[in-house]
Amino acid sequence: MSENRWMATGNFFTSYKAEQRIFMTHIDRLVFICFLVALFAWPLFFKLGNKYMLVIDSILIAIVAVYGLNLLTGFAGLISIGHAAFVGVGAYTLASFATVLGTNHVLITHWWPLMILVSGVVGAVIGGIVGLPALRLKHLYLVIATLSFQMIFQWTINFMTFFNQGQTISIGRVFWFTGKVARKQHYLFWYYVILVIVVVLGLAVRNLLRSKHGRCLVAVRDNDRAADAMGMNPGITKVYAFALAGFFAGVAGALHAYLWRGVGFESFTLHHSISYLAMAIVGGLGTLVGSFFGPVAILMLELQVEHFAEFVGHYFTAIGDVATAFRPLSFGLVIVLFLMFEPRGIANWWRITRSYFKLWPFRY
Amino acid sequence: MSYFLQLVVSGVVVGSIYALSALGFVLIYKSSRVLNIAHGQIIATGAFITYALTVFAGIPIVLAFLLSMVITFCLAMSVERIFLRRLIGEPIISVIMVTIGLMSIIDGLIYLTPFGSENFSFPEFLPKTPIAFWGVSMSWTQMVGVVITFTMIGGFTWFFKKSTVGISMRAVSDDQFASMSVGISVPKVFGLAWATAGLTAAAAGGIIGNITGLNFDVLHSFGIIVFPVVIVGGLDSILGAIVAGIIMGLIQQFASGYLDGKWGLFGTADVLPYIILLIILLFKPHGLFGIHEIERV
Repeated sequence: MSENRWMATGNFFTSYKAEQRIFMTHIDRLVFICFLVALFAWPLFFKLGNKYMLVIDSILIAIVAVYGLNLLTGFAGLISIGHAAFVGVGAYTLASFATVLGTNHVLITHWWPLMILVSGVVGAVIGGIVGLPALRLKHLYLVIATLSFQMIFQWTINFMTFFNQGQTISIGRVFWFTGKVARKQHYLFWYYVILVIVVVLGLAVRNLLRSKHGRCLVAVRDNDRAADAMGMNPGITKVYAFALAGFFAGVAGALHAYLWRGVGFESFTLHHSISYLAMAIVGGLGTLVGSFFGPVAILMLELQVEHFAEFVGHYFTAIGDVATAFRPLSFGLVIVLFLMFEPRGIANWWRITRSYFKLWPFRY
Repeated sequence: MSYFLQLVVSGVVVGSIYALSALGFVLIYKSSRVLNIAHGQIIATGAFITYALTVFAGIPIVLAFLLSMVITFCLAMSVERIFLRRLIGEPIISVIMVTIGLMSIIDGLIYLTPFGSENFSFPEFLPKTPIAFWGVSMSWTQMVGVVITFTMIGGFTWFFKKSTVGISMRAVSDDQFASMSVGISVPKVFGLAWATAGLTAAAAGGIIGNITGLNFDVLHSFGIIVFPVVIVGGLDSILGAIVAGIIMGLIQQFASGYLDGKWGLFGTADVLPYIILLIILLFKPHGLFGIHEIERV
């Protein structure tokens, strides 16, 4: 790259290493750092109610889950309609520790970072097992494998007494250096924890995607025979993609369990799998920024849908539960419309806006 | 022994309905290579239309059954026209995701109607006394359902083997470019495949509704069980769908008859098909009758 690293215009690369940089210009880096500081600092100035903090925390958790789904569906080209089940695996890993050791065991309340990691690893192992058919099959069949995993998961949770048959299993309050995290600080505390995890995992994904282990996913998606000829093993790569997705989902599941202080069956149904897929599609498959836009857009949409359903419910009392009807309806519409008219998702709008400002004052 | 026979009979009844449900799925896959995730929702739509015509509009049930098949035929065709026609040529992965979206949309639309949350049952129109032989009983509704199922499956087998339209559908499934060059309109064939799938789905929905009563959750699970059936049978084989449908019905009946209540297990009938599916995918991915064209990746 040429000497001037402030402007994007007029620059060129002289080595592959320069092209692989995370931040092309100093301005990119500055904007990123300012954005991060703002994310960390805003709770000091504004106090939001628990209801809104819960929404924000849920968005961040969904971002972690969608990292995994985006790696699997966007970068590796394998559709998954069982992602909520993988998230559930993470949550229920934590729940089984709580069942065996007791709700307030020291491992759960004091060693929670370790527990989050363990949940991720268990998710990765289960993801790898579900992905095993990938050793022999093309992606079409894997859709059905993930669907059947979703079904098996739902059955296991609903019918096993160990998992309380889908009823809520509670998780104790965690401890921080200052002592037990009180009820008042609960959402704020988890906001910071999840934010740190989102940032760390986001950087990890970004780095993964510019290393050989991430680029092999894209290579296998685009042409598995060519990838095979280049010396990658497409089957193993796909199983590895499933394991990666399982890891992110597992981490998200554990965070979900800690945030809600309990694990219940109803957060991990087929409908949730579809809304994760909607997040990935709306955000933009195969882009990292898409993993941020998708959850924000979909969860905001969900809020609006709930408001709207409440509003409609006042006037048409004949319809039973309007919210249960509007939620799948709106998610389905969003998926279909985006796939038909903007298959590259919101990330594409972001790219267009960004390139406008980057190239300013020139048009192209 | 009669317990065993009873299980066999009800297994075959349930299994033949699975076969009919899977038939529509196979039709779409055979011609356009699209996995239609929304098939269960189309079945449910057919069932609810039949009920609405019979009870709300007061049409005789036989006529309502036929009429709902026609309506679902048109609905499925328009779904293909509106949502999937413009995706021809796009990667198949996005078409499958569109059907996932469709599934969600139809779910939402059904939840808007009373059918989404309440239970309905069709009025009785057949003799109530069950047919009994060798200590095994079978209701008239089940009997009629099985007869309709096998007539339709036979009809479609003939349709694919002999009729011009059926042959052109097979041609499109084999090679789209080659069939275009001999003058087959590929989009028309896709539309027709969806429409016939809608027709069989409506028939399956009507029969399920008559046998088990109308409940959206039950119809939903019928729609999802289609996947184990088609995978075991081989995705593109009608014969496979029939055989695997009946196998699945038998397995489910035996599981709920013999496994439940032992070793603290229950509800095994709901999960066994999916476990079998995963095992089949691992060891015999083209199913029992599928064509061995799956490439090793």
